[in-house]
Amino acid sequence: MNRSLPTLLWGLLSLMAPLPATADDSPVTDDGWEQGDDSWDDAGWDQTDSDTGPVLHGFSELALGGRTSDDPALADESLTLGEFRNRFELESAVNDMRLSIKADLYVDAVEHGGHGRLREAKLDLSPAESTDLRLGRQVLTWGTGDLLFLNDLFPKDWVSFFAGRDDEYLKAPSDSLKLSHFTDRVNFDLVWTPEFEADRSISGQRFSYFNSQSGLQTAQSPRIVGQDKGEWAVRIFGTEGSTEWALYGYYGFWKQANAMTVSGSAFHSPLQVYGASLRDNLFGGLGNIEIAWYETADGQGTDPAIPNDQFRWLSGYEREIRPRLTLGIQYYLEWTQQYDVLKSGDAGNPFRVDEYRHLISLRLTQRLLQDSLQLSWFSFWSPSDRDWLLRPVADYRFNDQFALTAGANIFGGKERHTFFGQFEDASNLYLRLRYSF
Amino acid sequence: MFKPSLMLSALLFASGGAQASELQDVNKIVQQANLAAYYAADDGRAEARMLIEDRDGGRQSRQFTILRRDRAEGGDQDFLVAFSRPADVRNTVFMVAKHVAADDDRWLYLPGLDLVKRISAGDKRTSFMGSHYFYEDVSGRNLNDDEHKLLSSEGRFYQVLNTPKDPATVEFSRYQVWIDKANMLPVKIEYQDETGSVYRRVEVLDISEVQGIPTVTRSRVSDLRSGGSTTMEFRFQKYNIGLDDAVFSERSLRKLPRQWLKRPAS
Repeated sequence: MNRSLPTLLWGLLSLMAPLPATADDSPVTDDGWEQGDDSWDDAGWDQTDSDTGPVLHGFSELALGGRTSDDPALADESLTLGEFRNRFELESAVNDMRLSIKADLYVDAVEHGGHGRLREAKLDLSPAESTDLRLGRQVLTWGTGDLLFLNDLFPKDWVSFFAGRDDEYLKAPSDSLKLSHFTDRVNFDLVWTPEFEADRSISGQRFSYFNSQSGLQTAQSPRIVGQDKGEWAVRIFGTEGSTEWALYGYYGFWKQANAMTVSGSAFHSPLQVYGASLRDNLFGGLGNIEIAWYETADGQGTDPAIPNDQFRWLSGYEREIRPRLTLGIQYYLEWTQQYDVLKSGDAGNPFRVDEYRHLISLRLTQRLLQDSLQLSWFSFWSPSDRDWLLRPVADYRFNDQFALTAGANIFGGKERHTFFGQFEDASNLYLRLRYSF
Repeated sequence: MFKPSLMLSALLFASGGAQASELQDVNKIVQQANLAAYYAADDGRAEARMLIEDRDGGRQSRQFTILRRDRAEGGDQDFLVAFSRPADVRNTVFMVAKHVAADDDRWLYLPGLDLVKRISAGDKRTSFMGSHYFYEDVSGRNLNDDEHKLLSSEGRFYQVLNTPKDPATVEFSRYQVWIDKANMLPVKIEYQDETGSVYRRVEVLDISEVQGIPTVTRSRVSDLRSGGSTTMEFRFQKYNIGLDDAVFSERSLRKLPRQWLKRPAS
């Protein structure tokens, strides 16, 4: 797959090129109107769509990141990000069908060597007037949280997120079928992923993690028993006036391998999630509430190797507090059920999760210089785990082609085993220079 | 016999016409200007591009297609703005449900994350996609947010001074609008700071008739402090294309309504 991707991509390109591009192909023509084009007045607006075939876009990006302090578990690796990445994006339409492909080719100094990843290869169809079908590799997102996901159980890539890749990479793609149906008041989404797609969790390759079995920080990849059964996600949603509401359901497995077999391997235990959310304008800003019930394979709480049921709550508020300065705050709760049973059954496990895990997030975004410069601060702080993640980022857009991003991920905590605390030695600074085409 | 009566009727007609077009009531003037600028026909589509220039000659561009539908003349409206250029904003979609009696609902769709991001209602006077235009310039400022005063109706223009009712929510202390009596389009707007000096100017550069409706085809906003400006051009405008409610929905954010965005045949 890795090595054959360029061939595949160019094969597809040549396959698509002779297709007659319909008028639906693109809302505007590719008329050579570029930044710095002096022909702005006389323009090439008049070129018709039929003159343009599938258009290739993408970017090239150079990224570098390093640890702020040594990680004894990864003594030889001070780099957390080091890559030259090329993205190719291609879209083509035939009648009502639309094909979209996004592929990444990159060389990576941390996970040594060249890599190819097909990020998206999806086909859009509308089998009926009010029905859409999206087939293939796709990125899926729903829910109301800002970097907090209760009912969005689509795969995340935490390695990319922690390493400081573009936010886009926090969402990993999945090979899925998405069926949507729309009516005047109520809409339906159904997503079927035939083969379970787990989160890309921290596994020791780039960042070390805390192993609760050994009680030690480790860079050894955990032994994980794979899960190849399918998963289902549904959403019923609509807008009443200004209020967006949604009901959610998920039938699959924990995205993290947080259950343990008798032989000591981690696995993804069954999970069902039921939830709801509301989002609306509130006091000149934006308010949201989202809840979720996580029903696990250990509802009684008697098996310490399998997570207990959880109730999750999120409330958030965002508003512009000064011109171009936006503040967002979120409160998030994970409430583990049958906690007394868990406590009595895990032989006094010192690394047991708290019954109530509280998390508070703060986001400040300042836009400057005509939005060319965006300074943002995002932080997670858990008063119960007493740990934190600080994410300052500066984005500068030189022009339509070049953009520079500088940021940091600073982890810390009072204890080595908590969610953010274990990544203290993963704290890093990074820089990304991107050329878009 | 014949000639004087014709002359008389011509005079009557002319004076009658003059009376109808010479408005005295400032609220009527700003209402008509608002209708002319933002509510032409019942709906419409246009392709637009912006050239963003800074003082040092740096240039950026944006290209997008805009769909609009009026829910009520002078009342609530829906806008959908689909970006096609440059590469880093391609397929980004901006949607507004504009409400006259409540906060607007606004969404931004980020295709890389498949994220439908709702934008808080407050920050309307922030840059529209990196240009010198504000979001509010695109969808129109609520008439009820300002006190209006007719400064002059001499000559070709009505000159109206607008003062914000809630100064804390805006960066200007007042702004003056020149409204062309011939078509009731606001053709120049100058924003003043506390000292009364003009720091921001919006000008109409070209107007064309589209299906008989005077329509702005070229305008510019200048930031007089930074020396930067953005020029916006509209082409391929078409009115009354029959847009329905469903076009302005989450469905369109995640999957562009291409049958409406495509350039009309004529």
